[in-house]
Amino acid sequence: MALIKSSAHADTPLACTLLSQDTATLVQMLTDDDWTIRRQAAFALAQHPETTAILADRWQHEPEPQVRHAIVTSMVQIATAEVADIFLQALACDDPQWRNQAIIALQQLPQWVEPQLDRLLCDHDIDVRIMTVTLLASLPITAVEHRLIRVIEQDQHVNVCAAAIDILGEVGSEQAIAALQAVSQRFEHEPFIAFAAELALKRIRGD
Amino acid sequence: MAHISITLDEFLKFREFFYRKTGIRFEESKRYFVDKRLIERMEATHSGSFREYFSLLRFGNATDELQILTNVMTVNETYFFREDYQFKCLVDSMLADVVKRKPKGSTIRIWSIPSSSGEEAYSIAIYLLEYWRGIAQWDVEIISSDIDTHILQKAKQGIYNKRSLQHVPEALLRKYFQALGDGQYQICQDLRDVVNFTRVNLSDVADTCSYRHFDVIFCRNLLIYFDDLSRLKAAEVFFDALEPGGFICLGHSESMSRISSLFRIRHFPQAIVYQKQETPVP
Amino acid sequence: MSRILVVDDAATVRLYQRQLLEQAGFLVDEAINGLEAQEQIARHGGYDLYLVDVNMPLQDGYGFLRALRAMPISPAPAVVISTEAAAIDRERAYAAGANFYLVKPIRPDLLLQVCQRFLAASLGLANASQRAVQPSNHGGEQ
Repeated sequence: MALIKSSAHADTPLACTLLSQDTATLVQMLTDDDWTIRRQAAFALAQHPETTAILADRWQHEPEPQVRHAIVTSMVQIATAEVADIFLQALACDDPQWRNQAIIALQQLPQWVEPQLDRLLCDHDIDVRIMTVTLLASLPITAVEHRLIRVIEQDQHVNVCAAAIDILGEVGSEQAIAALQAVSQRFEHEPFIAFAAELALKRIRGD
Repeated sequence: MAHISITLDEFLKFREFFYRKTGIRFEESKRYFVDKRLIERMEATHSGSFREYFSLLRFGNATDELQILTNVMTVNETYFFREDYQFKCLVDSMLADVVKRKPKGSTIRIWSIPSSSGEEAYSIAIYLLEYWRGIAQWDVEIISSDIDTHILQKAKQGIYNKRSLQHVPEALLRKYFQALGDGQYQICQDLRDVVNFTRVNLSDVADTCSYRHFDVIFCRNLLIYFDDLSRLKAAEVFFDALEPGGFICLGHSESMSRISSLFRIRHFPQAIVYQKQETPVP
Repeated sequence: MSRILVVDDAATVRLYQRQLLEQAGFLVDEAINGLEAQEQIARHGGYDLYLVDVNMPLQDGYGFLRALRAMPISPAPAVVISTEAAAIDRERAYAAGANFYLVKPIRPDLLLQVCQRFLAASLGLANASQRAVQPSNHGGEQ
């Protein structure tokens, strides 16, 4: 027994076969009993953007995390406003697993997320607002700082402001200084806010 | 150009961002190293201040400056027995686990990607021959891939200089290499014949779909250069490429904890590696 | 000295907890999500106490707790620190294996009290007998 160089495997992997498979068959395979088949079908459907709604539905009901991963990866590759909408709605989901997958997906869809940001930052659900703030940290767009400043000036909820202060430490400029000082005052009974604002100011001033 | 210096807070701000993006964390003791390179890149991009440069990093085309900066911040040198604690882990721990699951007579398959000029694949081969008892009972196949056909050619040629070989013990140098003169050595024909170098673009599903049934994957110091989506996709490729229970090793400053939740952590005495679950989750 | 693992994706939160707890004499490690927390445990062994955020990328707090409770290490108390105050979230946390639940923003005196209480209880249990049976809410779902 030793090091060997062997020839190609006899059986063609499923993923290779599915490259040229028709949409209807792939959709059917998406509900196969075998999760490994569902996973490969999900990957192959990245080339079939018309199945977005079907993929989304499967994502929401799929018990197997590895299949959900594949579905999300495919939807991100499809990259349309419809896909972004599905994940934006999922931000309000009860289960953190789906919410957090939605955030990972949305980070890859900045051009569709940006037009929704202002609406989301005013959502009645505190957690949607917090998640939107978190999303802001990783979107490669420029209009982040002024939104964060607006949050810490106007948002009533301490945890939303806390999330925004955290990010301002990284993206903030002199423009944020006044707002950071003011938010400390507004939440003067919250030691964490004082700490966070002070840290952000320090990072911005660079002293 | 006016003398620029990076303040501690700027360093900390940069560190947090870079850590989040690449998983690479710099201790404060590395300030000189980091600051020097930041200043170099600031000059190269005509950034007048750290703030300006940081803005470019964050909001500019992520694949450009961040990629260049990552290259500059990481040690890219490839050489034989680099990060060899993982090869020790392979022969002392991982393979013992692998053979428990493999039917007798089946072949153990190892994938090394990127191949670069072959040092990693050949290092694995030498380690197996020298340090793994199981090589007497098992066939092992080593496949090593890269997107760059030019470098694959170099790997197939297997010619190296002293610098690349500095961590190879003299006895192994004599055993597996032939001196060509001029400080050059060529790895022996047997190993050049047996390691399978292939061209693969990790982002191309037509390329990757046939990579299956691997027991161990070495993917070291590659994913740090990828953008987030490519990294995610690569993790999926590796998951599918592995047999249930198979292992993947990343570079020492990399971690799956920033990339994907597909794998579980396995802690061996020599290294922390990642494993594809052995049976499907119920 | 007791070792605490702070698990939160926000750098400010981690720093705040670190400074607070180090000042109180604890050893503190950090992780930005549940996966990194598992790696810290793999590297450094089980901690004496876990402070766990809920919303983190790649592995959230509940996922981490379930993984923690499945590990073959001595059980240690875990406190979930969440932005959500609803009863259902507390239930979910306890079902995953949490021992206590705090709502953000962190109040330093309360956090310290909770840490000290749970660490003292663990020490007490460890001293009292060889391997006492742990309270049932350590069982958690997996």
